[in-house]
Amino acid sequence: MSMEPSGNESPAIERPSMDVDIVCAGFGPATGGFLTTLTRGLPLEDGTLPQVMCYERADDIGFGVSGVVTRARGIRASFPELNPDEIPMAAPVREEKVLYLLDPIGASRRSFTLKSADSLLRAAGVLDHEAFELPLIPAFLEKHDGLVMSIGQFNQWVGQQIMMSGMAQIWPGMPVAAPLIDGSRVAGVQLLDHELQPGMEIKAALTVVGDGPVGPVGRQLDEHFGMPEGHEKREWAVGMKMVIDLPEGSPLEPGMVLHSFGYPEPEIFGFFYVHPGNVASAGIFVPSWFDSPVRTTYRYLQHFLQHPYLWRYVEGGRLRSWGAKTLNEAGRRGEPHLVGDGWARIGEGSGSTNVLTGSGVDEAWTTGTQLGEAVLELLREKKPFTKENLEATYVRRRRASWLEQESLTAEKSRDGFHRGIVAGMLGMALAGFSHGRLHIPGAPIEHMPKVEDFFSERIPAARVDEIRREAASSGKPLHDALMDAWGWPAIPYDGQLLVTQQDALLMGGKVQAAPGYADHVAFRDEALCASCGGKTCVSVCSGQALTDAPERPAFDREKCIHCGACMWNCERENVVFMAGAGGLHSAEN
Amino acid sequence: MSYHIAVCAGIVPDPLQTLEPVSGPQGPALKNEMMLPAVLDPWAAHALYEASHLAKNVPGSKVYLVSLAPKAKLQQVLMTMAQKVAFELVALDGPSSGFTESADVASALAAAIEAIPGLDRSQLLLFGGWESAARAAGTTLAMVGERLGITEQFQGVDALKVGADGSLEILERVEGGKHQVSVCAGAPAVLGWATGSLPEPPNSPQTGMQNMRTVMPALQKAKPAQVGAHAFLSVSLPKQQRTTRIVKDVPAAEVAREIAAWIRGS
Amino acid sequence: METILVLLHPDAEGAIAKAGLEAIAAAHGLGGEVIIGLVGGNAAGAAKVIGGAGRVLAVEGDAFSQSRYATDAAAAQALVAASKAGIVMAPATSRWSRCLAGVAQRCGGRIDSHITAIAPEGVTRWYYRQRIEATFTRAELPWFLLLESGAASAWQGAPCDGTFERIAVEAAPRTEVKGVVSPGAGEQTVKPEAELLFVAGAGWTKKQKDGAAHVERAGELILGIVRTAGASLGSSKSLVDLSGEGQAVLPFLSHLNQVGQTGSTPRHPKGLATCCHGEEPHVVGWRFIQDRRAVNLDANCGWARGKADVLYVADAFEVMEELNRLLA
Repeated sequence: MSMEPSGNESPAIERPSMDVDIVCAGFGPATGGFLTTLTRGLPLEDGTLPQVMCYERADDIGFGVSGVVTRARGIRASFPELNPDEIPMAAPVREEKVLYLLDPIGASRRSFTLKSADSLLRAAGVLDHEAFELPLIPAFLEKHDGLVMSIGQFNQWVGQQIMMSGMAQIWPGMPVAAPLIDGSRVAGVQLLDHELQPGMEIKAALTVVGDGPVGPVGRQLDEHFGMPEGHEKREWAVGMKMVIDLPEGSPLEPGMVLHSFGYPEPEIFGFFYVHPGNVASAGIFVPSWFDSPVRTTYRYLQHFLQHPYLWRYVEGGRLRSWGAKTLNEAGRRGEPHLVGDGWARIGEGSGSTNVLTGSGVDEAWTTGTQLGEAVLELLREKKPFTKENLEATYVRRRRASWLEQESLTAEKSRDGFHRGIVAGMLGMALAGFSHGRLHIPGAPIEHMPKVEDFFSERIPAARVDEIRREAASSGKPLHDALMDAWGWPAIPYDGQLLVTQQDALLMGGKVQAAPGYADHVAFRDEALCASCGGKTCVSVCSGQALTDAPERPAFDREKCIHCGACMWNCERENVVFMAGAGGLHSAEN
Repeated sequence: MSYHIAVCAGIVPDPLQTLEPVSGPQGPALKNEMMLPAVLDPWAAHALYEASHLAKNVPGSKVYLVSLAPKAKLQQVLMTMAQKVAFELVALDGPSSGFTESADVASALAAAIEAIPGLDRSQLLLFGGWESAARAAGTTLAMVGERLGITEQFQGVDALKVGADGSLEILERVEGGKHQVSVCAGAPAVLGWATGSLPEPPNSPQTGMQNMRTVMPALQKAKPAQVGAHAFLSVSLPKQQRTTRIVKDVPAAEVAREIAAWIRGS
Repeated sequence: METILVLLHPDAEGAIAKAGLEAIAAAHGLGGEVIIGLVGGNAAGAAKVIGGAGRVLAVEGDAFSQSRYATDAAAAQALVAASKAGIVMAPATSRWSRCLAGVAQRCGGRIDSHITAIAPEGVTRWYYRQRIEATFTRAELPWFLLLESGAASAWQGAPCDGTFERIAVEAAPRTEVKGVVSPGAGEQTVKPEAELLFVAGAGWTKKQKDGAAHVERAGELILGIVRTAGASLGSSKSLVDLSGEGQAVLPFLSHLNQVGQTGSTPRHPKGLATCCHGEEPHVVGWRFIQDRRAVNLDANCGWARGKADVLYVADAFEVMEELNRLLA
């Protein structure tokens, strides 16, 4: 195996092994789509019943995270009679708005252009609670015929049906550590080592890789087989959300959807969806092109919630659930090799997310259904799962579908954001309206600015140094101190909705990790960490699992929610993010 | 000598979930009960690990997991539990709420155990948790035992040792953080387990696959159980909000002095 | 009103524990005829000191002096039959808790345990391990009630005249009681009578602000306070789990120390929580601690906020070093 430490460090160890027909790494919407489609065609007409196994890292199949508002075209194609009432927390979209949020407290880093726009909007008297509602939503962004959902509940709903069919087994709490690569072929997967037993090798004729944007199997395939020419995964975001019990008597109706931009930083996009039962999901995306070395998503999420436009709805509410994940924002440009001998990739890790429409779940589902149909075709024709055969069935279906057309439209749509928020928004509009023929070019930044430079406008370098020393001696997070010094007000904790990040882990995410597994975050070279001034991995860590320490950040795996942000936020590529166990224990995200 | 070990185990909300009571058509229930992730009842899970351990050490023994829970939720919980130890599932479809009647649950469980094909009642060890994390009453298992005519019963068990003569040496939790030691002549017996001494076994794909042969058929044919509840006058969350005085920016030595004075009662 | 049978097991000297006297008082609070049922080796001794009942029934003999399901269940069943009681009450000792559910089954009755309050309108108990409280009543009889200590004040009054009716019960148990042992060979850390419960949270084993964990020192400091303050030691589940599985944690902890939703809910006048962080499931561990203080680095910690009387925002290692010195 060509990989760096994969969580299974001793290749010489004797491992038990098991043979199955099809093995899936990861259970999310893509694998849900795959297994739903596949199991409906089983057993085959001749009575053949292949053995199909799926292994999922999380301790339950309902512990996924996503801010889901989806047009659900692929999902509805699989479930034509879909009744949202059957899926807890699901509701049809009834009202949709795009908001430009102004900065009510003066802490946001706004360009001259934005400040001018803000002044004009204020003078025009068109604001509602410091927000400007866009008069129309571009068609490519609209989700008006779609659904608001909880991905946890959706996964659970889908998983139960697959399991009860008896045609496939989905095993949670069983992380897949690595693919079994045999030359150009993938022969199955290896499960993660536990101190009481080595990870088993699951050998299969077909390995289906649906382990998400930062999944260890997908990343090891990328490393071994490389990316197709011109493709790269360099654009990411952390998406973090809260599920909130709205205060009693809330006027909000299920199916209300708000998309926002402009606050807490212009680069940060937000969402707010209302579920049945007086519950809402609220969240933000902090993208890699937000060039702050202090990308502390949790703090920004709390400021987002307190924006007057939202605060009037959520004040007095209570945190029910919390979670975060990495989004692969490279989309089509980040598409890896989709198939090879004995393997196929589906879902977000296969570049299916549409970065223009801001949609990933339905696309991921659709890739799974396409592979499901392809596999049934090959099984019926008794053809082996070779690269050629998978190309002719799965990839052919994918290329011919709406998914491909729309992802091509979206491919370069967000490049403009590398030049700034205004260029980015214009670029999206250009690409959207021209179906991808036009876009505003831009390239990701090569280096994150130094902390001192980034904050120089308001915090003198000497003060940054002082703050750094204070943070080191008190053990408190540097990023919070820097945001305080910049002018972000302290969070008025109420113990209900505005809670510390640690309380969010416990009250919201119910984060846990089973004992017996090794640390799954490591650092290649401690000297590199010691000389790092930004430690973005610490500030971006969704669970405060990484904390600053003199030599290298300290990692507490019991707090890790496996978002993987530490990995892509280290521009020195010094963070090794491996397969690990545990994470969120909330099924409402 | 071999044992037939029937482990009664329900499912309960994953311990870190926020619980809130609501009134439902069948009486009190938990808010979003069907959405809350569930786990096998923690003390009953210890009983299952102990049963598996015993069965491995006494050749010819067999472990049955007997569970009354909503079928779909039980299936989900079993996807984790089935990876841990080998068992044969006996499933009943019904509510797992803590507000249901323990006598009804006991009646359903006892009937299900009696109906296990090939069960040798003379070699039966009835295991379970000494209390659930739902009703938390510690009454069901004893009633199941009575219905099955078992007069040797133990609760709060932390250790079981099988003697060469088939006798069972049992340690039960009693007052004062101590254990009572008893020796039972042999099966049949009821053991309501506390934590025992075994760690949670790691998930094993082989065990999972082996269990699936009985788990899915048992779930598919799980019969509905008739379980009721008595009348409730009120159900509420404890009122326990205190006014917390926060002492900060005070040297550790001063904090220690204040705590020392408080401990001494001065 | 139904006749109420109060079941008690006097000790070898015939003395009745406080929990038993509370059960008698609770029975009187309901207003029916109260009958006392004694099970034990020295019922005659108990009958001389016990009061508050018009009739005293007793099952005596060596076989009944020990805490054992088969004999206790047979005795209780006979007493219920002889008393014709509609309500059967007993303190929630390990002995009555073990057998009365089975007796309820034999008598065709119903049972409720962990009763914390009792009134003619209904009884109150906890569900979901002290996380939800409910009051209810029942129509089915006989109704067995296991009372938690503190559910009523102890009965006070003149003793009865010492007469009692002996109830004959045959018993041939297959179980022999060998005695009582303290857990482990190590130091006694669970002390139910202690004034103070010291709760150690998982934070003790985490990396501290110098980036390293100091587990050995943590162990010394925790055991130090157990000794110097005579405290009982409680712990969070995660700390106990780690200790049980051979990791570099605190070797003196066992599941008996575990407090909280999956552990015990001990009763002590004072509680001091250190390095604890958690929400409701953990906090139930000190539901019955009267005066609560916490030491934690996070002023907004959910464990302490609204649940402790005083929260010291301080480094527990530093505070405990000094506290051990002061109390030594």
